Amino acid sequence: MRKMVIFGYSKTGREIAKLLEDEDIDLTIIDENPMLVSDANEDGFFGRYSSFKDDKLLSEVGIGKDVEVLFCVSDIDSMNLFITLSARNMDSNIKILTKIVRKEDEKKMILAGANRTISPHEVGAIKAYRIIQKPKVSRVLDQLSRLKNKISITEIEIPKGSSLDGVYLNEAKIVKESNLIFLGILDKELGEKFIFFSKGINHKLDGGDILVAIGNRRDIRTFEKQI
Amino acid sequence: MLARLLISFAYFLESSKEYKRVKTFVYNLLENPKSKMKPYFDAFIIALVIITVSILIYDVDHHIPYHMVVVEDFAISVFIFEWVGRFWVSANLRLRIIKYHEDLLEKNKKEKLSEILKIIINQKIAYIFSPMSIIDLLAILPTYRPLRVLRIFLIFRMFKIFRYTKSINSFFKVLKDKKLEFNFLVLLGGFAVFMSATIMFVFEGGGENKNIHSFLDTIYWAIITITTVGYGDITPVTLAGKIITVFLVGGGFLILVLATSIVTNALSEKINVVRESKVLSQISKMDDLIVILGFGKMGQVLASELRHGYKKFMVLDINEENLSKAKELDYIYIKADVSNYETIKSIVFKNDVRKVVLTTDNDALNLSILLTIKAEKKDIVVIARANSYENIKKFYIAKADHVIFPYQTVAEVAVEYIGSSVKFDAIDNILVQKSSITLDEIDIEEENRYIGKTIEESGMDDFNVTVIAVLKESDKENIIFNPNHKTYKIDLNDSIVLIGDEKNIFKIKSDMIRPIT
Repeated sequence: MRKMVIFGYSKTGREIAKLLEDEDIDLTIIDENPMLVSDANEDGFFGRYSSFKDDKLLSEVGIGKDVEVLFCVSDIDSMNLFITLSARNMDSNIKILTKIVRKEDEKKMILAGANRTISPHEVGAIKAYRIIQKPKVSRVLDQLSRLKNKISITEIEIPKGSSLDGVYLNEAKIVKESNLIFLGILDKELGEKFIFFSKGINHKLDGGDILVAIGNRRDIRTFEKQI
Repeated sequence: MLARLLISFAYFLESSKEYKRVKTFVYNLLENPKSKMKPYFDAFIIALVIITVSILIYDVDHHIPYHMVVVEDFAISVFIFEWVGRFWVSANLRLRIIKYHEDLLEKNKKEKLSEILKIIINQKIAYIFSPMSIIDLLAILPTYRPLRVLRIFLIFRMFKIFRYTKSINSFFKVLKDKKLEFNFLVLLGGFAVFMSATIMFVFEGGGENKNIHSFLDTIYWAIITITTVGYGDITPVTLAGKIITVFLVGGGFLILVLATSIVTNALSEKINVVRESKVLSQISKMDDLIVILGFGKMGQVLASELRHGYKKFMVLDINEENLSKAKELDYIYIKADVSNYETIKSIVFKNDVRKVVLTTDNDALNLSILLTIKAEKKDIVVIARANSYENIKKFYIAKADHVIFPYQTVAEVAVEYIGSSVKFDAIDNILVQKSSITLDEIDIEEENRYIGKTIEESGMDDFNVTVIAVLKESDKENIIFNPNHKTYKIDLNDSIVLIGDEKNIFKIKSDMIRPIT
């Protein structure tokens, strides 16, 4: 069972917890506000309280040992920063996703040890903007999230020695003939960065690269078998 | 008989397209605050006023050359045209007469000439005696030779300028609010002037002072003294006169200080009102305006995106701190209580607002504004932010067109992070637009080169874009995901949703409307 921790039972924290509820995940919620901790327990999650004067609770819930992912999503910015910093200090491999309010805070959080940042205000604003400016795009996105079972975004890792290993993307026949939309690739040779195919660079595919594609489940499975 | 003639003439005008076209043109030129021509025409009139007044000044001790007379005559003809034009468009008489006639037909009565004349007089005479019309007339009439005495009234042309400058009007409006204080001041000043003039006249008017010949002289002296101007052409010679002068100067100083403070006070109190009325007149000229209610963090990000996309929008909030940000970024904003019906009415209902975005973090407030808007104007698209999951449904019940629950969306993205970071980055990039790669839509309109071609034939693939879906006009519910590049033929009114570099998408948009060579 994978272990994950949510710091901060804020509105964002609550939604993340709800989404993770049905997955096979050992989830702990920690907060420095006793009211929110009791809210979490009422909602059926395992919530624990600490004032975080020391790192006792963090190590008790397993940070530094077996916790894979930490979500720092409390409403208090300085606490998010503090917990991110403490957790990174205890475990250099843990994945930390931290909530930010303003874009300018992103650098600060990354410096504190967060792997990625996320901002509800920004996501909400972009969504509103898209409804205004690109109504059809927002309809397609809505459909995509609603039709979760039929169509989904997925990652496909190219196995070593498979038919795609060492082939240039534009020449790969299976890629062209599949029913999937390929968005981009994570090329291990070029580092940990995600590259959109729309950048217009012809990539050489290697074993271990990860493709990101949109399509329905069946087509994805067929494609995986083919390679 | 004459009545019949007038009525049929009204119907004739109503049926004439040409007449309406010309009238609309004149209306746009002179009165329509939204028209593009009006500012130029206004500037032209102001220039004419300044030129003709300059000629008047020059005329005092020079003989005016011929070309100046031509300019003067030209200006007068323009002013006459302007006044006649305004008079013409001030009311639609023909519609009134037609309505009158229709009423008569219903009641089966005969038309009366006197009734029709009454309509005409009521409408048009009212215009002639409106203050603005009088100013215009005063600018024209003195040119008529027998009325040459009235030359000095030519200076009234300067008042025409007021007509075109809103800020001066609002300045006077502000001072009007301080009427009580000004009245008090004038009364006080008048009293002081009259008192000291009388005392002065009593002591020095009997020949003691050779400069004082009448009571009018002492009034003149008192005014010059109380305003601290002090020309010195009339000075007190007796001891009593000197004492009263000291008091008058002291009192005058106080009155001046008082007057200054009243004006500054009134201005600082009303500066927001003045600014607001300026903003209101600014937005009344805009079309397809987007209103953002609540300028918190979400509102701020949205505003910067809209600015980036060259959309016209304005911001409403009551929080001073939020507004200072709007001011800093040079957005159009008004400080107002968004929960107030009057606010919504004067900003959303009275202008050409098509979309409203509610971004406050208070669901009750968002809902109440939503209902206010939907109760009165159903076609305004409202995008509402919900702040708790339980309330999303309520927003839909209240007929919100779109509901955004940012916490859920952000949680969905966050959860993707459990997998490898690849998918998260892909989704995050798409949702938050961090790179130049963007999701966009292309509408296929008439005379598009791509119509009838497959996606492969269209050459879109050469621009390195990834087609995600096609939306058909005929079938609103159905979205074709991942259309087959070889067989799907692009149709008129399709919308293509794709991912690609901003620049490439722009190139496609210009490529597809290029004429077939």
